[in-house]
Amino acid sequence: MIPDWMNATEAGPYQGAASLAKKKGFAKKTVDGVLAFFQESLISETFAKRKGLLQSLDPRVKLISMLVLIVGVTLMRSPWVLLIIYLLTLGLAYFSKIEVLWFVKRVWVFIPIFAGVIVIPMLFNVFLAGNVLVPIATLGNGSHLGPIALPSSIYITQQGTTYVVTFILRVAACVSLAILLFLTTQRDLLFKSLRTLQVPKVYVLTINMCYRYIFLLLDTIADLFTARRSRQIVSLPLREEQKWVGGRVGYMLVKSLDMSDKVHQAMISRGFDGDVKLMHVNVMRHRDYAAIVTVLACCVILGLISQSLISI
Amino acid sequence: MQTIFDLQNVSHSYLDKFEALKDINITMTAGEQITVLGANGSGKSTLLLILDALIYATSGEVYAFGKPVTEERFNALEDNEFAQYFRTKVGFVFQNPDVQLFSSTVFDEIAFGPLQLGLPNDEVKKRTEEVISMMELSSLRDRAPHTLSGGEKKKVCIASILSINPDVLLLDEPTGGLDPRSQLWLIELLQDLAKAGKTIITATHDLDIVEQISTRAIVFGEDHTIKADSNCDTVMNNLELLMSANLIHKHMHRHGKLMHEHLHSPDGEHHHEQ
Repeated sequence: MIPDWMNATEAGPYQGAASLAKKKGFAKKTVDGVLAFFQESLISETFAKRKGLLQSLDPRVKLISMLVLIVGVTLMRSPWVLLIIYLLTLGLAYFSKIEVLWFVKRVWVFIPIFAGVIVIPMLFNVFLAGNVLVPIATLGNGSHLGPIALPSSIYITQQGTTYVVTFILRVAACVSLAILLFLTTQRDLLFKSLRTLQVPKVYVLTINMCYRYIFLLLDTIADLFTARRSRQIVSLPLREEQKWVGGRVGYMLVKSLDMSDKVHQAMISRGFDGDVKLMHVNVMRHRDYAAIVTVLACCVILGLISQSLISI
Repeated sequence: MQTIFDLQNVSHSYLDKFEALKDINITMTAGEQITVLGANGSGKSTLLLILDALIYATSGEVYAFGKPVTEERFNALEDNEFAQYFRTKVGFVFQNPDVQLFSSTVFDEIAFGPLQLGLPNDEVKKRTEEVISMMELSSLRDRAPHTLSGGEKKKVCIASILSINPDVLLLDEPTGGLDPRSQLWLIELLQDLAKAGKTIITATHDLDIVEQISTRAIVFGEDHTIKADSNCDTVMNNLELLMSANLIHKHMHRHGKLMHEHLHSPDGEHHHEQ
C-alpha cells in the first residue's frame, strides 16, 4: 500500500553538529506574542474578580466616573495638579488590590509610544520658542533642514520642558484611569454598561463578540505558526516567508468571514431577529451614588482650577 | 402523531454549483428520534440547516409544523409570529462549539436564547440557573467560552439550546471531539430528553451511538440522495448499505445485537469476554 521509499527508516543517534539559534524566528516570535497576550489577559481578568474598592462599584458608575474624570484631566494645565491626580490613580490601584508597580509599568509602556513620540520635539526651540534650559548645538545663521529654516542655536527650552511634562502627566493620568476601569471591571459588564451611555445595543453586542473572537482567531494564528514550525526543515528566504505570512492573512480573513456567517446562523437559530436583547443585572447601591457624587465634585473642582476660578 | 417536518423533492446546491442534497423526501413526526447517517460531505449538515430554516431548498418544498418554510417567511422584518414560534420549537446544536458560543460568559450564553424570545428577565434568570444546575455547569457559570475545554464547550452549547426548551432538537455531530466519558454523558442526556417526548434529529457518522440515541435511521449516499430510511436495526444490519454509503470499511465489523464488553489490545487483537 505504501510506496517503497516510505519503507526506508533510519533511527539512531544524530552524528552531526547542532548550532544554537542566536535569535528567534518570526514564527516563534509570533507564537510567543500570542501566548503573551493570552497570559496578559488572564492576569487582567483576575484583577476584576478581586474584592477591592473599584471592583465593588457598579460598572455603569465606574464607566461614567472614569469618562468624566478623563474629561476633567484633559482640561487641566497645571503639572502639579496632574501629578496629584496621577498619584491618586496609584492610590485607587492600591485600594483595588492591583500591584502598584505592575500597574505603573503597564501604564508607562504606552506613554513613550503614544505621547513621547508626538511631544518630544516640543522640548526644542525649533518648535516652541523659550528660555534656554539645556544648549544642544550651535548651527550659525541661515541653517536649513530641507525647506525648514533652523535657528542659529538649538536648545531645550524651559517652556518646552513644562509643556512636555504637563502633556505626559496628562496622558499618564488618562491612561491610568482607562486601565483602572478595564482592569477592575469584568469585560462583559463593562461592555454592557456602555448601554448607559445610550450606545446602541447592536454595537454593544458587536464589541462583546469582537472581544470574544479575538481569542479564537489568535488561537488559530498560534496554531498555524506552530504547525509551520513543526514542518519547517530549512529557513526560507525573507521573500518566501513574507509570501507565506501574506497567504495566512488571506486565509484568516476567509476563515473569519466564514465563521461570521456561521455565528450569525447560530444567533438566528436561537431567536435573534436583529433586535438585541441584553439582560441588565446591575443594581445601584449607596456606595455607587457616593462614588458618582464624589467624582462629579472632583471634576467641578478640576474645572474651576483649570479656569483659574480657584487656585491651589 | 403530528408531522413536524415534511420535505418534498428537496434539493440544495451551494453557489448553484456544488450539489449538497438531491431530491430528498422525508417526513418526520413529533417524538421521533432519528439519526441521519452519511460520510463526510454527503449532505447531513445541509439537511439540518434546512430543517432549522437557516438555509433554504433551491428546489422542492419544505414544511415545518404544517407551514411552508421559505426565505420570505423567515427574513421578514415585521413581527413574524411563525418565525418566532419556529425558533421556540426548534433548537440546533452546531458541530463547531465556537460558532455557537459567542457570548462573553457561560451564563450569558445560556440566557441568550430565552432573552431573544422575549421572556421577562426574572424568568430568563430562573431558567438559566436551572439549566446550569441541571447540566452541572455551576463552576463554569462566569467563565469565558474560550477558556473552556472541548467537552465543556459542547455541554454549554447544549445547555444554551435547552434553556429555550425546544420540542425539536437538531444535533450536528454531537459526539465529535468528545472523550468517551463525555460521549456517554451525552447519550444518557439524549435518552432522557427522548423519554420527555422531545423529537431528536442527529447527524453523525459515529455508528456506535446510532442505536442508543435513535429508533429510525436515514442514510445519505455520497451522491447526496437518501439510500435508506428505516428503523435502526434494519439499517445497521445492512452491511452492504453501510459499505456503499462509505460508513464502514471492509475491516470493520459489527456484532449484530450482541451486547458485550471487550477490549482492543495493543497487539491489534479483538478480545471478547467469554
